[in-house]
Amino acid sequence: MNPVTGYAATISSVDMVAPALRRFVLSCTKGTFPAISPGSHGIFAFGNEHRIWKNAYSIVNRSEDGKTLEIIVRRAEPSRGGSDFLYRHGKPGLNVSVISISNLFPIFRTGRRHLMISAGIGITPFLSYMTEMQKSGMDYALHHYTRPEETSAFKAILSPYDQSRIRVNEGRQNAVSSLSMLLEREPITSHLYVCGPDSFMEWVRQTAAEAGYVTAKVHSERFVSPAGGRVFEVRLARSGKTITVGTDETLLEALENAGIAAPCLCRGGACGMCRVAVIDGRPDHRDHVLTADERDGGNVILTCVSRSLSPTLTLDL
Amino acid sequence: MSIDTTFRSAGSYRAPYLLENSDAAILRFPFPFPEDTYMYSMNIEPHVKAGEVDSLRRTFDVDEHYVVECQEKARILSEDPKRCIVLPHMQKAEWDFIELAMNSLSEDYPDLFHLSRDGMRWHWINRPLNIDQHFVFGDAGTLPYAPFEFMARQMQGDFTLQDQRDNDLWMDGGMVTSQADWSLKFDLGMSFKQWHAPVPKAGEMGIFDRGLRFLLMLQHGMPVRRLNWTMTINPRLDTSPENFTIWGRDRTVVTDDNAKDLVHLRVELQTLFRLPRSNAILFAVRCYLLPLRDIALVHKWRIRLHRVLRDLDPALSAYKGLDLYRAHAVHYLSQFDNNELTSKGISPDQDIIVHM
Repeated sequence: MNPVTGYAATISSVDMVAPALRRFVLSCTKGTFPAISPGSHGIFAFGNEHRIWKNAYSIVNRSEDGKTLEIIVRRAEPSRGGSDFLYRHGKPGLNVSVISISNLFPIFRTGRRHLMISAGIGITPFLSYMTEMQKSGMDYALHHYTRPEETSAFKAILSPYDQSRIRVNEGRQNAVSSLSMLLEREPITSHLYVCGPDSFMEWVRQTAAEAGYVTAKVHSERFVSPAGGRVFEVRLARSGKTITVGTDETLLEALENAGIAAPCLCRGGACGMCRVAVIDGRPDHRDHVLTADERDGGNVILTCVSRSLSPTLTLDL
Repeated sequence: MSIDTTFRSAGSYRAPYLLENSDAAILRFPFPFPEDTYMYSMNIEPHVKAGEVDSLRRTFDVDEHYVVECQEKARILSEDPKRCIVLPHMQKAEWDFIELAMNSLSEDYPDLFHLSRDGMRWHWINRPLNIDQHFVFGDAGTLPYAPFEFMARQMQGDFTLQDQRDNDLWMDGGMVTSQADWSLKFDLGMSFKQWHAPVPKAGEMGIFDRGLRFLLMLQHGMPVRRLNWTMTINPRLDTSPENFTIWGRDRTVVTDDNAKDLVHLRVELQTLFRLPRSNAILFAVRCYLLPLRDIALVHKWRIRLHRVLRDLDPALSAYKGLDLYRAHAVHYLSQFDNNELTSKGISPDQDIIVHM
């Protein structure tokens, strides 16, 4: 592995799971991918001669021999175009490098029982969870929520797993009462894992809190899919450079394109590694890491997802 | 090291003590002071195969004391088997450790260690310890010990396994036989801040907050290292709380005259690795002991150690247990310090040792 460019790979197969969902199998060009812990995500770099995207996706599976990884991508709207590019142009042979792999959503291994609740594409980390839980004989259950038109797609994705532990729910109509019931039925030792859109996760957390779950037993991965926004300028105090952040690129990407060695890791507002001091201007915080005080103070920004409310932002870079 | 290098066959890390260092071993010692003063800092750097001294340049360092140290470790484990404890939820981390250790040892020392893999069927050869083991990766029943213990017995230094949950690290396993006065039995199951609680000053300096935040983001394939230090009377690896009654009183017998032979600079090369299957963190503590008389053979180090010990913060001196004999060590080293300027960094700045 090259510490800067990561693992070189190409798409070896594409599977149309549903109209908006694609499953990609990536083959390592040289050697093997490292072993993966369940809940890991990778940062995947891909693109064309005009543009390179670096997007985070959960790793659904790594083959036993380590030669391939699988991801599932939804064409997201609104979007900076990364997932849309993969959706349209992700054909066998396309180069996709895996820049880094890390885990912000690990299984709580001391737990006696694991209850997973997901919606839509939020299923992806739990696919790797279930592979391991099945192998290690852990006690678990998965409740998945999907739009009616994608029910059959998710049922197909879930078909290799133990069906007695899985329930797929269509829509949210009956879900409200069923979720409280199922949460109340769980033994007090259960750990709860949630993954899905923000509003869904908030609903599950709220319902869990009402059912008496302590926050230490409720786990979620709050990735932000970096969205675009208004164009703004960034002044870099140390280098004296001024760069422009376009509507469909992130601040981090603009910094990287300008050749600035900006820190980063998750690229989804979840880890805090890309924190940079703000000297002037008003940040538009879109991450899940900064505390309320840090947000209000306005002296720091996470470049991977956040933008600017003022036309110009001056950073300590 | 290669198979042609002779490992020492004689040596004793308990009374009657015997530890001899070759000139090469002295010059590769990971001297821990890049400057003439010492205070806690976030002195973490990438653990790459480069460094100012040779002992930093391998994933896991093996030196001339390898065989005798492994024998001492086996002896401690037979007297006190609970020096090795791994909690049940750390099984994946045990196999991660096997993979990391066997891969890197066989790559760094092809003359000493050999690994061949055929799918899950692995074959491990450790020539210095005469071990030839076929096993199935992932099947603990095919090894003579549990996987972590099997491997940690074949390596110098201590190892702990940290589980990551709730944005914290938990010491949920390890093998600890060459420690500077701490106990795995006591710390097992503790969180990062709990096991660091006895350390003075660093908490208020914010070092543990930053350290924990950094380690939670540690990535596979990008290990980090730092040097830590204390002092030990006699070349004793096992300065454990369990055996305090054996070694504690040694600190009272140091004099200006015997300090050069009794007082050892004890350096820990601490390395941290993210383990890929388990998402756990391996913490490796490789211990090096060098008596003041050997440090005095390196011009720069003897001057610098004098200044560091002379000016050490009293709280650190007390925490490291140096108060009973620090003055004697400073007295011995003061004869070498002629007030000259020393170069930055830990390099010995000399290629050979001139014996006086």
